Amino acid sequence: MKERLAELVSQACDGQLTPAEVLTATVPLSYLGVTSLAQMRLIDAVEREYEVEIDLGGDVAFLDSVAGLAGWLAERAPAAR
Amino acid sequence: MTALAAAFSGARSGDAPLTWGQRAIWEAIERTAPDDHYFNFGRIVQLGARPASVSGALWALARLVERHESLRTRIVDGRQALAAAGELTVVLGADPDALLAELTATAFDYAREWPLRVGLVTTGAEVTHIVLAFCHHAADGLGAEEAVRDLRLLLLRGEPRGSRPPQPLDIARWQSSPEGRRVAEEAAWHWEREHRRIPPTMFQLPSGAGESPPIWRAVLRSPAVDLAAQRIAVQHGTSTSNVLLTAVTALVAEMTGHETVAMLPIVSNRFRADTRGAVSTLSQEGLFVLDVEKVPFAELLALARPAALRAYRSAYHDPADRARVLAEVGEDRGTPVHPWCCFNDMRFADHAVYRDDALIRRALGESSLSWPMSQEQLNCRFCVHVSGTMEVSVTADTRWLSRADMERFLRGLEDRLVEAALR
Repeated sequence: MKERLAELVSQACDGQLTPAEVLTATVPLSYLGVTSLAQMRLIDAVEREYEVEIDLGGDVAFLDSVAGLAGWLAERAPAAR
Repeated sequence: MTALAAAFSGARSGDAPLTWGQRAIWEAIERTAPDDHYFNFGRIVQLGARPASVSGALWALARLVERHESLRTRIVDGRQALAAAGELTVVLGADPDALLAELTATAFDYAREWPLRVGLVTTGAEVTHIVLAFCHHAADGLGAEEAVRDLRLLLLRGEPRGSRPPQPLDIARWQSSPEGRRVAEEAAWHWEREHRRIPPTMFQLPSGAGESPPIWRAVLRSPAVDLAAQRIAVQHGTSTSNVLLTAVTALVAEMTGHETVAMLPIVSNRFRADTRGAVSTLSQEGLFVLDVEKVPFAELLALARPAALRAYRSAYHDPADRARVLAEVGEDRGTPVHPWCCFNDMRFADHAVYRDDALIRRALGESSLSWPMSQEQLNCRFCVHVSGTMEVSVTADTRWLSRADMERFLRGLEDRLVEAALR
């Protein structure tokens, strides 16, 4: 699933980061230039693909890494299991 | 002036309620009339090394209008009315800037006129520039970019991009579907919750320095703001847009004394797969709320990020829901609640590079301030626009913010950002 998420991140930032760069990132994605606007595209893509709803009212730090997203999805998304 | 015509014949006609974005801009237009030409804007498409023939340009324009239904949609009795076929008037001129100024000078006749005015600049038999003036219900800045890209492709290779773009008629239908209503209700909940706690408005004290006309715009051209915002963005892992939004919010708190500041960022609403690529007005105000009280700037930047995500999501809302919750909250609080304070980052790219001290310091000497505009009406009190690299303007109602304070705001923004960048 991490590979697929890395692809979605890469698409959301118009290819400014490759999936490989996303997967090997050691700092939060926002430090690599994933802007809030790209993050919104990522949220839309993840919600569509995994049929989940991301609540932006709480802690959204999980959006800042593929591992965070994968962990969040593993707990919630039927499509991710 | 000589005029030509581009005859178009699209696939369908139709009628639907306005999309949320169309309704939002339509309400702003109605509130700003008779100064509603304020919302007109344009693009000059320079053909450069590959000029077109006049007939080639007319052909491409007709195909463009056929492809993007928004460009043949008029507003009739508060609904969108899509026509299949018609003729677009195309004027000829000698100077692109003068032509654009002329084409955007007067308000559109929304019910009768096509929402796109076009001019061609020719040298001999060759078209060197195509000038497009958009009615704002047909496109916003990013929508216009989509149109320009397709126009260029039509001129270059005789066809636009492959896939059929989203159309306002279909967007309106989705928005009234159960799925659309679910999205709308979540957004309405954000507007309601925040309106119950924000100050009734941001600039609530009369300035005592109202001008005639009351609305003025001050523009600060400041390479230093650009460079400083980039450095801060890299240092804090955020975008220059967030840096600017946060800095503006912090300054509004200082100027007004509010501990909680509400700003209305203009949001593109092009995050979704079903809106991307549309020539339409999708941008709407989101609601950005930050508790600024005594929080250091670096911490504010961290708080601003999730707040911006919530604001962006709240921007895709039904203006009717927003009006309803605002009325309810106003009733409950015994006072109307509206920030009248907006932020519009009109740049298309947000790429930050770590800039060194000397460069930022040197740039400080290059700033210049001007007052390019004044007018009677504005449906806001305080609007910040960011464009190019780097123009920051504030358009304000001087009855609530004096011209001296407008200038102080812009200079303060520059000082604040440079100081934070060099810290």
